[in-house]
Amino acid sequence: MKMTPALLIIGGLLVFWSAVYVSVILPWETMPDDKSAAWMKWTPDEAAGHDLYIRNGCSYCHSQFVRAVDWADAGAGRLAERGDYYEQEPAILGTERVGPDLSQEGGEHSDDWQRAHFINPRNTRPMSLMPSWEFLGDEKIRQLTAYVRSLGGKTAAYRVARQDKWHAAATAAWKLGVDKNVDWLHEQVPAVWRPMPNPYPATEAALQRGEKTYQTFCIGCHGPMGDGQGPAMHYLEPPPLNFTVLRRHLVDGKYIGGIFYYQVMNGITGTGMPYFKRELESEKIWDVSNYIEVRFLGYTDATLSPQGIPAAYEPAWENTFKPPSATGESK
Amino acid sequence: MLKFASKPQSAALAFLVAGSAWFLIGTLYGLVAALHLMAPELYNNISWLNFGRMRPIHVNTVLFGFVATTLVGCAIYYVPALLRTRLWSERLGWFSWLCWNAAVLSGPTVFPFGLQQNREYTEYLYPFKVLIMLAILTLIVNLTLTIAGRKEKTLYVSVWYAVGALIWTAGVYPIGNVMWRPQTQALPGLVDSILLWFYGHNMVGLLLTPLAIGIAYFVLPRVTRAPLYSHRLSLVGFWALVATYTQIGGHHILQAPIPNWLRTVTVVGSIMMILPVFVVLANLWLTTRGRGMKLWGDPAGRFVLAGTMWYLLVCLQGPLQSLPSVQAVTHFTNWVIGHSHIAVLGFAGFIALGGMWHMLPLVCGRKLYSARLVNLQFGLLLFGLVGFFAVLTTAGLIQGHAWATGETVYVVLPSLNVYMALRAMLGLFIIAGAAVGLYNVVMTLRHGEPLEPAALEAEPLDAARAGEVSP
Repeated sequence: MKMTPALLIIGGLLVFWSAVYVSVILPWETMPDDKSAAWMKWTPDEAAGHDLYIRNGCSYCHSQFVRAVDWADAGAGRLAERGDYYEQEPAILGTERVGPDLSQEGGEHSDDWQRAHFINPRNTRPMSLMPSWEFLGDEKIRQLTAYVRSLGGKTAAYRVARQDKWHAAATAAWKLGVDKNVDWLHEQVPAVWRPMPNPYPATEAALQRGEKTYQTFCIGCHGPMGDGQGPAMHYLEPPPLNFTVLRRHLVDGKYIGGIFYYQVMNGITGTGMPYFKRELESEKIWDVSNYIEVRFLGYTDATLSPQGIPAAYEPAWENTFKPPSATGESK
Repeated sequence: MLKFASKPQSAALAFLVAGSAWFLIGTLYGLVAALHLMAPELYNNISWLNFGRMRPIHVNTVLFGFVATTLVGCAIYYVPALLRTRLWSERLGWFSWLCWNAAVLSGPTVFPFGLQQNREYTEYLYPFKVLIMLAILTLIVNLTLTIAGRKEKTLYVSVWYAVGALIWTAGVYPIGNVMWRPQTQALPGLVDSILLWFYGHNMVGLLLTPLAIGIAYFVLPRVTRAPLYSHRLSLVGFWALVATYTQIGGHHILQAPIPNWLRTVTVVGSIMMILPVFVVLANLWLTTRGRGMKLWGDPAGRFVLAGTMWYLLVCLQGPLQSLPSVQAVTHFTNWVIGHSHIAVLGFAGFIALGGMWHMLPLVCGRKLYSARLVNLQFGLLLFGLVGFFAVLTTAGLIQGHAWATGETVYVVLPSLNVYMALRAMLGLFIIAGAAVGLYNVVMTLRHGEPLEPAALEAEPLDAARAGEVSP
């Protein structure tokens, strides 16, 4: 075969456009353009937020589709559907995850958490690599927050409604004062969890593990002293809990581990406190509870009764902390 | 008026010089982005240094600015040279140059203001996309009329690839940028991603790849003074390239809810891509067989040889990555970033530089200012890029396996820190390589010794053409 200009140009275009027909035109013509059950139309604010998301290159680090292999991050379990992207223009699926997938982020966090996070992501996520967006100004951050709230369509709307409901309840409780707020928070924990001691010994190694978890997940809101004065406090309502007041709110005068575990696991929906059960396993939550108790309450209920058969690996460890009631402190 | 623009080969020279400058600028923006991933508060809350705005400057400037510009500069030199004629119009070449570089310049000047489109590689604003299309179309006109007025009857294989790259890109570019919808330059819904990744893959597959292969077919036989191994393999490689590369963009969105048949097409196409790669490499390497030391001893030949080796690596990795079971771990991670760097800088970039160092003296009529600086650039880039590839692949495997065992993206971030720091450091070697190259280009133009006219008039590819008459 001899290559002539005609063969080169006509043949080259023929093969190319045949391939384009298979890979582009055929799917374009045959893919139904329909809405998924979860799809919702954007409000003007949400559309403006999407525009900001596009123009500032958010999709270089955040994907917007959940895959069958995804496990831990928000939205895992609900696979992306073609119709989720109906009318989105452009729908940016993303190619890299420096940050989490955002396709189901709506309602995962409270709005004021999102604001604190946009202003400086290290406010709420100390190890985050995301840039600070404070320079965008309040109005644009509000639009971005509206957009993030919408991510997930109707499944997000369900979560957002739950956030809003509990936000009202938690804010009302906060306005009753420090102690009544703690009473309300404890009432929201199922009764079986409340008189539950921390089953993990508060050994030095366990406390060091707990400190690492605290610094990676908690310090931005609750602060290095556990007094609720982390950098995110300026943006959160109700504000982060001051752990030191819990010394006068122990259940039956001695238990607090079970309440910590439950609240770290499930979060306090409606407030800035997210759930951590997808990224922290059981031991990490018990260790960070022990860390908070020992460092900020000066007391831990670790290994108090009731106790079952201790795990084989656990070292000999004696809890020498006395509950405040035993030291003569009163509520 | 504008006398310099009618000087023979001045347009090719302009492309080569601009490519060298964009190389330095593009990699500097890469460093800005890399530092951000190492220390996110190093320049905190500064809008015009924000990661989301810097990354597209880096990507577009190295893709369109450095690699594509240099490759096109080589092509508009070697096509007329192989056809024993002059470029049809130097002025039209300059017009293409102006359109093309104005578009590339819009990256650093427009993106920092938060004005971009966020579809990868389609970020340029609409007017600049029009300029890119103008540049491509005028280049097609220029090369087609050059071919029409040729004095050499045979079209050497490099010419096929140069023409192919341009006529295919003239189709890929408007499809990928949805240029018939100027308001968003995107289609509504999921189908947009199919167009986007058809385009995204083919910016490498049908623009950079054929232009780079064209250079390899030009430089390797010339440096080794060896006839092309097989005309038949050239044909197979050329037609197999356009038939397979065009089908495989879908592997970028394999895990998204696209039709199953399209997934199958794209994975099968990705595996079949090995065919043109092996055929082309076999043809090139068999051409140089027994003359490896000659190739290695020539600074430009060394770049092109290394580029063909990167080509083998990246095109073994690519098909592997398209397999669903591999993607389950590697997709969304830094592994893919490593892959894209060895494709654009390793394969296409090394060959573009090799082509430039080989052709610059022929284009400007001066000997290279320093062959040792070319070798220094080679060493800097090779060290930086091998390190980059190792570090990013490792980071990608850490991410992928951690996610697969149930860790969240956030939990894994601290494990990446050391790799992000190493990647920024290795980037310094690449930037140094770019700076050395630009210095060498400028010094060649200003102080290079003039070449004897005989060297300029020498038959561009007599030896290689000898292979074409054999079956």
